[in-house]
Amino acid sequence: MPLQQGSARMRQRTVLLVGIVVLLAALVLAVVLASLLTHGRHEVGPKMLKWKDRGTTKNLQEVILGRCYNYITAQHPELGDKDCLKIWESLKDAFIYKNPCNITPEDYQPLLELASHPIPCNKSLFWSKTGELVHRYTKSNQNFLTLEDTLLGYMADRVSWCGDPSAPGINYESCPKRNECESNPGSVFWKTASKMFAEAACGVVQVMLNGSVEAGAFRSSSIFGSIEIFNLDPDKVSEVHIWLMQNIGGPQSESCSGHSIQRLISILEERNFKIICEDNYRPVQLLQCVHNPDHTDCRLCTNST
Amino acid sequence: KWKGEGTTQNLESIVIGRCYDYIRIVNPSVGEKNCSQIWEAFKNAFINKDPCSILPKDYELFINLTLHTIPPNKSLFWENNQLLVNSFADRGRRYMSLGDTLFGFVGDFLNWCGQADSPGLDYESCPTTMECENNAVESFWRMASITYAQHSSGVIHVLLNGSAEGGAYPQPGFFADYEIPALQKDKISQVVIWVVDDIKGPDIDSCGTHTVKTLETRLKTLGYDVTCTDN
Repeated sequence: MPLQQGSARMRQRTVLLVGIVVLLAALVLAVVLASLLTHGRHEVGPKMLKWKDRGTTKNLQEVILGRCYNYITAQHPELGDKDCLKIWESLKDAFIYKNPCNITPEDYQPLLELASHPIPCNKSLFWSKTGELVHRYTKSNQNFLTLEDTLLGYMADRVSWCGDPSAPGINYESCPKRNECESNPGSVFWKTASKMFAEAACGVVQVMLNGSVEAGAFRSSSIFGSIEIFNLDPDKVSEVHIWLMQNIGGPQSESCSGHSIQRLISILEERNFKIICEDNYRPVQLLQCVHNPDHTDCRLCTNST
Repeated sequence: KWKGEGTTQNLESIVIGRCYDYIRIVNPSVGEKNCSQIWEAFKNAFINKDPCSILPKDYELFINLTLHTIPPNKSLFWENNQLLVNSFADRGRRYMSLGDTLFGFVGDFLNWCGQADSPGLDYESCPTTMECENNAVESFWRMASITYAQHSSGVIHVLLNGSAEGGAYPQPGFFADYEIPALQKDKISQVVIWVVDDIKGPDIDSCGTHTVKTLETRLKTLGYDVTCTDN
């Protein structure tokens, strides 16, 4: 009967239409909800790996760029041809979207090439376990340069970074500690940069070591002991001057005649470098004296002068 | 056109970069700041204006955005010995000089100026203070110095150069004209003056003589407890 069929078909069509509308509404709702949820979480990808050390420094790009321009404009105008934007990009490309346990020295090659600059002879100053003191010294005496006084080290000092395979590719929450994996972006950077810094040294080089550390002033496991001394070029470097600094009034764990220093000297002599070791190099000791002006070691006239 | 150096290249990147460097690494205790906003406030103080018409109060918004507490007993004022002060203050660890505050840190050793009827910075040249006092850089440091002095408290220190020609306490000078008048007497317990001669330099001025005596007298008259030490 056509009329009954007609109304049944109309009912069917209505049900179908309502069903489609409900489906569409549900779809739209789902899309809206999904975008809201992912928007809230876009800074920490839900699949980002979790590590034990602090994450990438916030505003890393601005800090690196600003330091680069600061270095080449305000401090070292002879480096005016460096391209800071390219340098930043090459740093970012070294680690972004990569698993932070798989970083290699090759990842940093483009950055090293763009940011490296020649270092005048007789000015390279290496250091181990004397970070604060050595940088206070180079700040007041521009005759010496540590790695952190070169463009590369200046940009990276006290800053941390690491990537992650999931978006946005940079992990601001955490980064691997060395004991979690050795081939992490920070460790590989400093090892690679230190190697290059040592290779670039010429003439007389200096190293400031800590004679108040229990474990010994020279350690084979340090970057200095494992990388830098082996990358000094005997055709370019003639002498190594060791400044063995002890804390004012602090433990005198080691001096130039100590075991680890003797070991260091023999390693260096084997590579044909001439070595001079000085206990408590006076110009640096005077800086230490700012904190202890009344100590006997800090008198203006010493017996030796 | 002007006798002074032009604006430092890449000024914007340097200022913004230094701002983030300060709040993330140098002194994170100052908390969160909006460095892009700070740059805008800094820039708006002097762009599109006659470069000889910039006043300290043009930097008011910049100062408001960058202000933070200066720990008591850590203020270090100085004249004619900036490198020594930077070394001695140890980037805020021992003392906090003006250059170790956020507002001083972003401007230190930089140069800038704008031009009338143009939003651009002048990279060619900028007026020296001799050409006109109310220039962008001079007014910046006047405003920064006033602010620094206003927010100093406890024991304040002044490092003067006993080998400086013309005397250790220069007049006119920033300390004399902007900082001393801005000190908040009820917040300051003592003023400690150090007069230090250059190594192998002449001993032109010392405590109790010439310009240092003038300074000591002025501060005592204002009611401060003053001590002075040579070298």
